[in-house]
Amino acid sequence: MLVIKDKRLRNAIRIAVPFVIIPAVTILGSIAFDRKKHIIISLAVAALSLLLFTAGFEKKSTGTRRMVIIAVMTALCFAGRFIPFLKPISALTIISGMYLGGEAGFLVGSLSALLSNFYFGQGPWTAFQMLAWGLIGFFAGLLSEPLRKHRALLIIYGAVAGVAYSMIMDIWTVLWYAEGFRTDLYIAALGTALPYTASYVVSNVLFLSLLARPFSEKLGRIKIKYGV
Amino acid sequence: MRRFSELNPLAATVYFFCVTGIAMFSSYPPLMIVALLGGVLFFIVRNGSSHMRSHLFFLLLFIILAAANPLMSHNGITVLFVMNDNPITLEATLYGLNSAAMIIGVLYWFRSFTQIMTSEKLLYITGALSPKLSLVLSMALRYVPLFSKQSKKIKDSQTAMGLFSDDNIIDDIRGRMRIFSILITWALENGITTADSMTARGYGVCRRTQLKRFTFRRGDILLLVTSLLLTAITAAALSLGKLDFSFYPAVRYSAPDALGICGIAAYSALVLLPVIIETEVSLKWKYLLSRI
Repeated sequence: MLVIKDKRLRNAIRIAVPFVIIPAVTILGSIAFDRKKHIIISLAVAALSLLLFTAGFEKKSTGTRRMVIIAVMTALCFAGRFIPFLKPISALTIISGMYLGGEAGFLVGSLSALLSNFYFGQGPWTAFQMLAWGLIGFFAGLLSEPLRKHRALLIIYGAVAGVAYSMIMDIWTVLWYAEGFRTDLYIAALGTALPYTASYVVSNVLFLSLLARPFSEKLGRIKIKYGV
Repeated sequence: MRRFSELNPLAATVYFFCVTGIAMFSSYPPLMIVALLGGVLFFIVRNGSSHMRSHLFFLLLFIILAAANPLMSHNGITVLFVMNDNPITLEATLYGLNSAAMIIGVLYWFRSFTQIMTSEKLLYITGALSPKLSLVLSMALRYVPLFSKQSKKIKDSQTAMGLFSDDNIIDDIRGRMRIFSILITWALENGITTADSMTARGYGVCRRTQLKRFTFRRGDILLLVTSLLLTAITAAALSLGKLDFSFYPAVRYSAPDALGICGIAAYSALVLLPVIIETEVSLKWKYLLSRI
């Protein structure tokens, strides 16, 4: 956060956003807008969480090498979105989270959503996509120990991530279309999204089983060779 | 005056979020119609008669979205007709039309936004937020064409060595996987070399500078102030409940008073702002040309 020069103010904001502002926005929003405009509240919360994460990343002294590797993975995700039907973006995000840590996973997921949407169409859903993909990478980072050891677990995580991504994005679809959340529309949206959900699950499982081992070898080699 | 796309990206971003924010925030039909028409008009002013296919796509999407609500929801008291034992109501149809106008309008605005926000402008905005993030983004943007170039080189050399064949699908996939694997190894190593080179040249010693400089000139400040002011008027009318419109169970609305009319007028002016700027610039250009 370069805009705010004062260090104490920056620290205050970093504490205030997750513990004060986000709950306040949620509660006040639901009271003020009469359960109607959930979309605005959810957008505001998504944007605030992304902002919070950015602020945390800015503060840390991340090495140049690490940052460049994150950029490389983001570019690979971006390029991967051009493959028809199969989307390696979640699989690559999970791999980055597993081997480079949760923060890197979050950044790779959210930044590739932001960047590739400049090609595939930017919209209010960008914030949600960034958050959804970022969280997939972040949790992969948290679960990196068991995921690295057990291959079956990794495949299951990929499948669950595919379904979860679709479900999160459908919540957003319903909120945008109707005022407030409606279960009938949500089920209908999930139904129409079924082919996409299937393609997410298939591509996650496929790319994870194809790419997990080579990537671990390559990243391990880089770590040994250059001591990242 | 400059073209809208040449104004300061920060001012343009604030403008876009004002327009789309109000469109998503309210559900007052006249505002939705204004947002939709303004979005289409601005897109056409910028692109002329090209992009016919996206217009067709949006039209199709509009019809699907408008039809979805009366088929799914049977609220409302005025039954138009009965289909498969399910009543199709007037209120649900109007609600579907209103939602569809909002969604398609916002989609059009974001289409223009994506066209205007080129990558260097994105870097300018993220650079103000976080220089590190902006660096990662700019490097990723540069890597995409670099990777496609390199993968072509790898493919050519593999073909020359007789290792790549696309006779059948299994061989094809195998070959592609090998190229991808080679590309990743190369990309990671190349990235490390780049990082070391950056450190050697003093990256991180002082503040990062931008290739293209955007300054706040009179036009930018004017746009920023005008859009915030007009948004404030509309927001005031919305929050005081002057622009309420409810569909269920029956369509019910109050005739807008002075403030409500001001809100609608302010939003219309806000939506037409870029069209006015573009038209003024083209007229001026034409006039200057004819004088030569």
